[in-house]
Amino acid sequence: MSTPALKGPAWVTVRQYRRTLWLALAVVVLAFAVIGGLRIWDAQYPDVRTEDGFWQLDPYNSGHHWLEGAMHSFSDCALAIPFAAALFVAGPMVAREFESGTYQLSFTQSVSPTTWLRTKLAVATATALGAVLLLSGAYALGWVRVRDSYSLLRDDVGPYLVLGTVLAAYTLLAVAVGALAGLLIRRTLVAMAATGLFTGVALVVMDAFRWDFLAPVTITGKAVEGASTLMVPEDGRMVDQGLIMADGRREPGWFCYDEGASGACRPEEPVAAQYLDYHPASHILPTQLIETGILLALAALAAFAAFRVLRARHP
Amino acid sequence: MVEYRIDRRSGVATYLQIVQQTKQALRMGLLEPGDRLPTAREVVEATAINPNTVLKAYRELEREGLVEARRGLGTFVRATLGTTAPADSPLRGELDAWARRARAEGLDREDVAALFTAVLAQHFEGDDEK
Amino acid sequence: MSTPIALGAELLGKKYGGRRGGWALRECGFALPAGRICALVGPNGAGKSTLLALAAGLLRPTEGTLTAPAREDLAHVAQAKPLHPRLTVADTLRMGRELNPGRWDDAAALRVVEGGGFSSDTLVHHLSGGQRTRVALALALGKRAGLLLLDEPMADLDPLARHQLMGLLMADAAERGTTVVMSSHILTELEGACDHLMLLAGGRVRLDGAVDDLLAAHTLLRGPVADLAPHTVVDTRTTGRQLTALVRREGPVEGPWETSEPSLEELLLAHLRNPEGAAA
Repeated sequence: MSTPALKGPAWVTVRQYRRTLWLALAVVVLAFAVIGGLRIWDAQYPDVRTEDGFWQLDPYNSGHHWLEGAMHSFSDCALAIPFAAALFVAGPMVAREFESGTYQLSFTQSVSPTTWLRTKLAVATATALGAVLLLSGAYALGWVRVRDSYSLLRDDVGPYLVLGTVLAAYTLLAVAVGALAGLLIRRTLVAMAATGLFTGVALVVMDAFRWDFLAPVTITGKAVEGASTLMVPEDGRMVDQGLIMADGRREPGWFCYDEGASGACRPEEPVAAQYLDYHPASHILPTQLIETGILLALAALAAFAAFRVLRARHP
Repeated sequence: MVEYRIDRRSGVATYLQIVQQTKQALRMGLLEPGDRLPTAREVVEATAINPNTVLKAYRELEREGLVEARRGLGTFVRATLGTTAPADSPLRGELDAWARRARAEGLDREDVAALFTAVLAQHFEGDDEK
Repeated sequence: MSTPIALGAELLGKKYGGRRGGWALRECGFALPAGRICALVGPNGAGKSTLLALAAGLLRPTEGTLTAPAREDLAHVAQAKPLHPRLTVADTLRMGRELNPGRWDDAAALRVVEGGGFSSDTLVHHLSGGQRTRVALALALGKRAGLLLLDEPMADLDPLARHQLMGLLMADAAERGTTVVMSSHILTELEGACDHLMLLAGGRVRLDGAVDDLLAAHTLLRGPVADLAPHTVVDTRTTGRQLTALVRREGPVEGPWETSEPSLEELLLAHLRNPEGAAA
C-alpha cells in the first residue's frame, strides 16, 4: 500500500505486509459490491401491498432471495475475520520472523524489541478494526432489508456478532493471542494452529454462555392442558419454558398432554402454572457489552504476556 | 600516484610491502617531491588491508624523512631516492654485463635470482629491519 | 590503557534452554579497544555466533556482564543474512533510512550494492546468496554504526566480491574509526585485514589480543628434542629426532633451535589443535 504519511517502523511493517493489506481492502470492496448490487437488484421490484394492508414481497423479486442467501453466507464468513487475524498475526507476522531470523534485522536496525512488537500490534489492530468496521457497514446495508428473515434476527448469531462491538472484540483478542502464540511457539504453522484453535474455543465457549450473562425475564400463566399458551413477546429471545409445580419446582420442557409422550405432566402431579423465560430485545446490547468486556480483558492479558515474554528473551 | 600491490603469500609484512613499493616508486621517479600519497582510505579500499597497516607504513616513511603528513591534506613526498637506477648508469651497465655472462654460462632465470638474493642478503643484512 | 573499549565482557555466559540446552558460552572476558578490526575465529560450535548475538543485543546473557554500544550505534549481520523476502532491494535500503533517521548514509549503502549485478527493484526473494550478503552489508554500513558485528560475512561471496567488500569495510574503518568484529573459520579471509584476534573454543576465550603482540609473544622452534621449559608449549610435533614446537616465550629462547616468528595461521592452527592447553 503506498503510504507516504507513514514513518519508521510503521512504514516497514506496512510495506512488509502490503499484499495482505491490499487483500483485506479487496475483501471489503467485494462485500460492498455484492451487498450493494443485490440491494439494487432487490429495489427493482418494490414490495406490493396486499388487500388486508400488509406489505409483501413481489413474487418476481429473486434479488431479495439472493440477498437473503448472501446475508446467510456473510454471517458465516464474518466468523472468519477473527480467525484470519489470529492466523496472520501468529504466523506470518510474528512466528515467521523468528523462524527466518528477520527479527534480528529489526533489532539491529535500531528498533527495540518493544517498539517492534508494538508496531506490529498497532498495524494489525488498525487493519483488523478498519476491516471489521467497514464489513459491519456492508453487513448492515444488507441486513436492514432482511431483518425479519429466518436466522437473521437481531439476536441470531450473525447479526449479534457483526452489528455491535463483539466481532471487533474477538478480532482484537485474536490479534493479541496471535502475537503471544507466535512469540512463545516461534514456528509458523504450529503457532497458527494453536491460535486458530484458541479462537475457535473462545467462540464456542462464549456462544454457549453468552445468554446466561443476564437473568432472563420470566412470564407465567395458567397451565392449560394440551398446549403451551405463553408467547415470547415480539423481538424477544426464548430461553426456556415449562411447568411450575405446586411445590415451586420448575420442570423445564414439560407440557400437559392427555397421555403418552415423556415429559408430559400426569394427572396426579400438582401443576401450579406454566412459565416462559426470555430475553427481551433490551438485553441484547448489555449482553454484547459484557461479552466485549470479557474479550477485551483477555486480549489485554494476552498482549501484556506477549510483551513480558519478549522482554524476558531479548534485552 | 602509486598503486600498491599486496602479496599475502610473500611472507613480507604488509606494511613493509607498502614501504618498499613506495621507495621503489621514488627510485623509478614515479613519485617526486610534492606528490601526494594515496589516503589510507584509498589504499585499503583497493587492497582490503587493515587501515592501521597503511598508517604504520606511512609513519615509517615519515620517520625516514621521505614523506611528511600535512594535517587535513594528506601525506606528501619530501625527498627522492632517484640516485642509483637510471638506465644508463655504470652500475646498471655492470649488472647487465654480469647477467649476460650468467646466461651464457647456462644459468636460468631462477638460478640467477637465487644467486642475486643470496648476495643481497649477505650485503644488506638487517637493513630492512628498523 | 587510554583507548576506549568498544566491546567488553566479564564472566559472560549464555545457556540455551530447551532439550538440547547447554552452555554456548562460558566465563568469557575480554576488552576490545575501539578502532580495532577483530577476527573472531574458532571451530564450528565454538560460540562465535552466540557471542556476536549477545553483543548485538539480540539475546540476553545468562550470566556475566557485557559492555556494548547502544542499539542505535551498532550494526549486526547474522550468518544467515536475514532480510525481508518480499521487499525489493530499494525498499530494503529505504527501511534502513526509515529505521535510522538522522544517521543513515545512502551513498555508503549504495556503494556496497553497486557491482552486485542486480537492479534495485529486484525482490530480495530473487537474490542469490552473495547478492543477499551485499544487501545485508549495505544495511550495516549505511547505518554508520560505531561497531560492526559481522557473522561469517564473506562466506557466500566470490573472491572478487570478497575483495571489493572487504575493501569497503576497511575504507569505512579508515574513514570513521569503526570497530569491526568479523567471525570466520576461514582464516585467509581475515589475514591482512584484521589487527586483533579473538579465538574461541568450546565456549571460552582461548586467545585474545592485538595480532602483532600475539605473534611477537610466540616463537616457532625447530631442532633436537629437548626440554622446552620455561616456555609454555602450545603445540609440539616430533619427527624422528627433530622437534617442531610453538611456544609462548618466557624470556629469550636459548638452545640449539632454529627460531622464527610464526605466521598468524600457524599460531591459530597450533592453538586449535590443542584447545585445552595454554589458554591465554
